[in-house]
Amino acid sequence: MLVLQVLVNGILLGGLYGIMAIGMSLIYGVLRIVNIAHGALIMLGAYITFWTFTLWGWDPFLSLPVTILLLFAVGYLVQRCILNLIVRAALYLTLLITFGIEVVMVNLARIAWTSDLRQTAPAYVAANFSVGGLTIPYVRLWVFATTVVLSVLFLLLMERTRLGRAIRATAQELRAARLTGIPVGQIFAVTFGLGAALAGAAGAMWGVLFPITPILGRALTLKSFVVAVLGGLGTMMGAIVGGLVLGLAEAFTATFIGPTYPNAISFGLLVLILIVRPTGVLGRGEGR
Amino acid sequence: MKRRSCWWLASMVLAVAAILAGGIAAGAAEEIVLGAAVSQTGNYAREGKFYVDAYQITIDAINRAGGVKVGGKAYKLALKLYDDQSDPNLSVRLYTRLVTSDRVNFLLGPYSSGITIPASAVAEKNEIPMVQGGGASGKIFDRGYKYIFGTLPKAEFYLQAAVEVAVKLNPPVKTAALLYSNEAFDRSVGEGTRQWLKEHKIEKVYDEEYQPATQDFTSILAVIKSKNPDLILMAGHEQGCLNFIRQAQAADVNPKMWVFTVGPPTADFRKTLGKAAEHVYGITPWLEEMEIGGEIFRSAGEFGKQFHERFGYEADYHVASGAADVLIYKFAIEKANSLDPKKVRDAIASLDVETMYGRVKFEPTGQIAMGQVLIQVQDGKVVPIYVGGKFVAKPVYPMPKWSQRK
Amino acid sequence: MNARRWVPLLAGLAVLVLLAAAPGIFSAFMIQFLINLFMMTILAESWNIIGGFTGYTSFGNAAFFGIGAYTTGVLVTRAGLPFAAALPAGGALAMLFGVAVGVPVLRLKGQYFAIATLGIGETMREVVYNLEVTGAGTGLVMPISRSPLSFFYLMLAILAGATLVNWWLSASRFGYGLIAIREDEDAAGAMGINAPLYKTIAFALSGTFAGLAGGVFAYWITFIDPDAVFKMSTTVQMIIMAVFGGSGTVLGPLLGAFLLSSVSEVLATQLATLAELFYGVIIVLVVLFMPKGLFDLIRRREFSFKYFARNLRENRI
Repeated sequence: MLVLQVLVNGILLGGLYGIMAIGMSLIYGVLRIVNIAHGALIMLGAYITFWTFTLWGWDPFLSLPVTILLLFAVGYLVQRCILNLIVRAALYLTLLITFGIEVVMVNLARIAWTSDLRQTAPAYVAANFSVGGLTIPYVRLWVFATTVVLSVLFLLLMERTRLGRAIRATAQELRAARLTGIPVGQIFAVTFGLGAALAGAAGAMWGVLFPITPILGRALTLKSFVVAVLGGLGTMMGAIVGGLVLGLAEAFTATFIGPTYPNAISFGLLVLILIVRPTGVLGRGEGR
Repeated sequence: MKRRSCWWLASMVLAVAAILAGGIAAGAAEEIVLGAAVSQTGNYAREGKFYVDAYQITIDAINRAGGVKVGGKAYKLALKLYDDQSDPNLSVRLYTRLVTSDRVNFLLGPYSSGITIPASAVAEKNEIPMVQGGGASGKIFDRGYKYIFGTLPKAEFYLQAAVEVAVKLNPPVKTAALLYSNEAFDRSVGEGTRQWLKEHKIEKVYDEEYQPATQDFTSILAVIKSKNPDLILMAGHEQGCLNFIRQAQAADVNPKMWVFTVGPPTADFRKTLGKAAEHVYGITPWLEEMEIGGEIFRSAGEFGKQFHERFGYEADYHVASGAADVLIYKFAIEKANSLDPKKVRDAIASLDVETMYGRVKFEPTGQIAMGQVLIQVQDGKVVPIYVGGKFVAKPVYPMPKWSQRK
Repeated sequence: MNARRWVPLLAGLAVLVLLAAAPGIFSAFMIQFLINLFMMTILAESWNIIGGFTGYTSFGNAAFFGIGAYTTGVLVTRAGLPFAAALPAGGALAMLFGVAVGVPVLRLKGQYFAIATLGIGETMREVVYNLEVTGAGTGLVMPISRSPLSFFYLMLAILAGATLVNWWLSASRFGYGLIAIREDEDAAGAMGINAPLYKTIAFALSGTFAGLAGGVFAYWITFIDPDAVFKMSTTVQMIIMAVFGGSGTVLGPLLGAFLLSSVSEVLATQLATLAELFYGVIIVLVVLFMPKGLFDLIRRREFSFKYFARNLRENRI
């Protein structure tokens, strides 16, 4: 029974991890940028949802489209105005600049909203139901359902639309994409915007489950790394698979080994995967 | 061209050097400066604010009442404050700066044992007294330091009253789950609690540690639920306890009694949780209703009222402890009639005085000897249940299940 | 060897002598600041070896720092070893760790290497968090040492060593080999350079200095806990200092560490949040407008808009 409960917990949270990491995988796959500011984008999503809930009473799930649009705009601007300027720079420079952007975002958030703990807590936040000895909080189920919907929508976008095709073309072969007239700068900006939008959605839901602070994103960037690498940096399905794997790994480790071990295990897993199979579970070969 | 950039570089270096030189300050002559680095941002920001406000209100009150008299002269107290961002490493550097650069007279403490342990090492190294009210772990005081004093009772004893009470209730508690954070204070509480559980023959069905930064308690709760303990004891700081209670509600975990080391006596905690805070037990060495008092603040009630008026929230034991620290300096400096760190240190060590925080008397280790009150949240209010080995009110026990509450 | 090669060395020696006389001149506070400055410079220089010269962006050098700190800490507090023995042990363990970890991880390409080293840094922190011998979450409290001067000279000595190694790298065959690896690893291999060996040595060297700095730090600050010594922001500080000054050069990390440390020290105590914000903005501006660092700016002897604009154009889409 405990095993089943842990399994369910792991899957429900794993879905959220997956959505969190899709954006990072996307940005890496297309732009070859490792986005250290990813967590800050998640944090912004959480705050936006919190404020729309607190000030105007908007339900966190219903206000998702707004959060997504706002974060898309933020991501688009960041890429257009800053990151497009250093896309061809050496790796350590792109890492550094995304770190700088993270620091700026976090500190602006601190100044604007202070470090006080917040939480988006609608009335139904503790409601739960029991089935067969398992207790499942409604919010976790809805979060999982939302992540499924978002994943499907996103995959449809990438596979079935012109924009999606353009993005994938740019990812695969930059020069050819340019030659066929794809406005690469624009595509880059849209891609980053999409990644940010997904991160924002993840943040919106995170803020319903857990407390919100400006430094909420730091640990989540690392988690997103683990998930994205596990599944294969650059593959979207990989992020989802990776998310579920991490969710389950954390749940089982916390329950059966000890609550202080999940992080050690997940980072250890990260290093191990990189050494053994850097392209992750679903990735294509290009690691060494 | 060559010269221009050389000059440019030289002037940059000079500018930086000038800024640095300017960074060496000297204290004003007629003041006694108390220095502290407190968590105003970061994990402990909530609790840190209590200390900042407490220090401020007490210093102002002392100054209004004539200041501190040394050698016939009246000195005003001043506060030099830094933000340690809940980072022990930064705290050490800031305390070093307070001592070497700002040259403050004496030191007040940070919040949390984890930060107090290293910060106090700086004070001891420089032989300057530090009176702190934010660190309760015995580990702060078992290093043989002479200059460190603490006004929070020993962490190891925090949950003793709760365990004592648990076996006296009807039906008595038989099984307990112990959960504590991987941090100095909470590990100390955990160590002590194991002992009390053994003494009172309560079966420990769960004994685990969690990372301080943990947000997600679902796995922990799943295991605890499967063991179905009568009593849950949690040692953590405010944020962790808050999360735990919320998620326990969502996971439908229903112990008969649960106790948290930080949170329940604090208004902020109760307000944030709302109804979920009902029936929660907590511990505090101080309540506004207590009939205690001394100089400057004639009673706990008077202190609480003044504090609420000025800062807009209710004082709790953190606030009272911080205020007491400043009061202790006034009494000790006047007793020693000197500003010499060693003489003041000796005066603090031999102090025995009544204050609005209670009786201040330090054990040889430097930690205060003070009892705690077990409280329960009833109708949103803090109700003392068990003081000095006796029941003073009836607790609501067993706690009604979540599904039966409204 | 012609005389010119020795000029920088002699200049360095002169500076060293000057600094050694510092305790007589400066206040206790300045001494503390200098010790911290020396430490940051050592870290920046250590990163420079693997990141600047060899071109492998390590995002986990804080791991070496932490290993050095904890090894020294554990040996002193649990095994009762004197500091003089524990410190070299810390450096040695950091070096061994660099070799052990370097062999598998240095085979990875740029981004993967960066993430892997980041993962290693984080894993080390979590491991230490869970071990009783390292004090777990409570951390380790070191015995109090009442002579700050000994730390000053120790850090200065390690700094001299790190600078010497950086200087040697800039002028030796081994160093040229590293640069060749950075510029084009396959070509370097074709020319007969044993890339895996060179890279591992560089990584181990980098780790040794960071580890030694960590050991001294532990004893100086009297207390270490996992969050303090395995911080990712320490690694980033190392990198930004090296890059700001000029990564891959000898003077770069020195310049960068001195300037950024000083500014950060002044700001950090006045307005913490604004200071961090400022720090973030600086990082973004540096990467955009002067990615080659201050040293390049000075060396080219041009301080004009054209230089910055040119940098911008070089890297844009």
